[in-house]
Amino acid sequence: MAKISDFLTAREAGLALCHDCHKLIPWQKGHGQGSSICPRCGADVHIRKPNSLNRTWALVITAAILAVPANILPIMQVDFLGSAEYSTIMDGIIYFFEEGSYGIGIIILTASVLVPSFKIIGIVLILLSIHNQWKSWLRHKALLFRVIEFIGRWSMLDIFVIALLQVLVNFGYLTSIESAPAATYFTGVVLTTMFAAITFDPRLLWDA
Amino acid sequence: MREHAEMEAEIDKLDLENIMACPDCDLLLQQVGVARGQKAVCPRCGHMLYSSKKDSVDKTLALSLSGLILYLPANFMPLMTLDTLGLEKSASIYDGVTSLYQHNYFFVAVMVVLTSLVFPLIKLSLLFVVSLALKLQFFPRGLAQFMRYYHHLDEWGMLEVYMVGILVTIVKMNHIAHIQYDAGLLCFIGLLWAALGSSVVLDEHLFWRLIEQKKT
Repeated sequence: MAKISDFLTAREAGLALCHDCHKLIPWQKGHGQGSSICPRCGADVHIRKPNSLNRTWALVITAAILAVPANILPIMQVDFLGSAEYSTIMDGIIYFFEEGSYGIGIIILTASVLVPSFKIIGIVLILLSIHNQWKSWLRHKALLFRVIEFIGRWSMLDIFVIALLQVLVNFGYLTSIESAPAATYFTGVVLTTMFAAITFDPRLLWDA
Repeated sequence: MREHAEMEAEIDKLDLENIMACPDCDLLLQQVGVARGQKAVCPRCGHMLYSSKKDSVDKTLALSLSGLILYLPANFMPLMTLDTLGLEKSASIYDGVTSLYQHNYFFVAVMVVLTSLVFPLIKLSLLFVVSLALKLQFFPRGLAQFMRYYHHLDEWGMLEVYMVGILVTIVKMNHIAHIQYDAGLLCFIGLLWAALGSSVVLDEHLFWRLIEQKKT
């Protein structure tokens, strides 16, 4: 009688886990990269996410490229009595610190600068560790990935703030706030990093 | 080789109902019951596997319905009104989207409308339909599909992020203009509580088990 302790992972035991409903399904060894249908929920089941490493690399590199215009171009435009002042993400943060609102400054710094760079660097680190087969700190890397998954959406904070300010501070010639080109690139960074976390299969870390 | 073949032949004897695999590290694990308020965690990688939640169907139904009721006022009524030098301007969530669109920031407008309007609505509707069906013991064919869509959309509803965005805006505008808070803000806070709450009280493990049992 086979015991659970005979098998370490589901893959070794000839079982595949459904991504959506987490049901275990028998998997023929020769099936390789093919897919089956989950009997419970109808989703496509793969033994590992298809082409995970390639897709994640592509997405994280795109994110890194988009991060350049996102931070260099202005993200907000303030018109005061006819003269326009453009501010980048960093300008906005510095403004808060100068005004004394350290709390808000830190929140924006975290959401718009720290979180995206943390995500990009974190995913690159994990990808490199899989390619080079670095076996140490596995549990920490698993935790790192879970943190990356969790914080991904918070980078949208700056975008929501600008959307609201654009509507509220709209007093015509007197003063008005508008979004500026970096907004598009920044949204692109958030989107690509979120997708990179979705395409990455964390089980690859443990497939020693 | 022979041992391996023997193992393979006995895979059918493994009770697939009582074992599960960790989604993060693929470790095969014996399922254990968890008491209320406890959670099961993977011993190898620390991923939270499942937790037991009391009255999940009832609570999910109640919270998702509340969210749906609050949805329209929360998003279309003004959140606050800015009053500076005698000029007034109000903003709702929907106004934010139209403003971005009018300024030709189409990609940003689409992302904002999806994450703050479309996906939260779909998530609440899906939870409402599924929990209602489970409560009434009525099992249409699409139920599994609905659960799957909810699972995919889970991280794409960003109402909490919007809430913090509102707070940042308030702090930023506080010394520049007089802020008058409107009914829409109260409704939005309620919507946020309902949406967040419904995803917290949802016990996916239980829901999937119920769907599977009654499907046949």
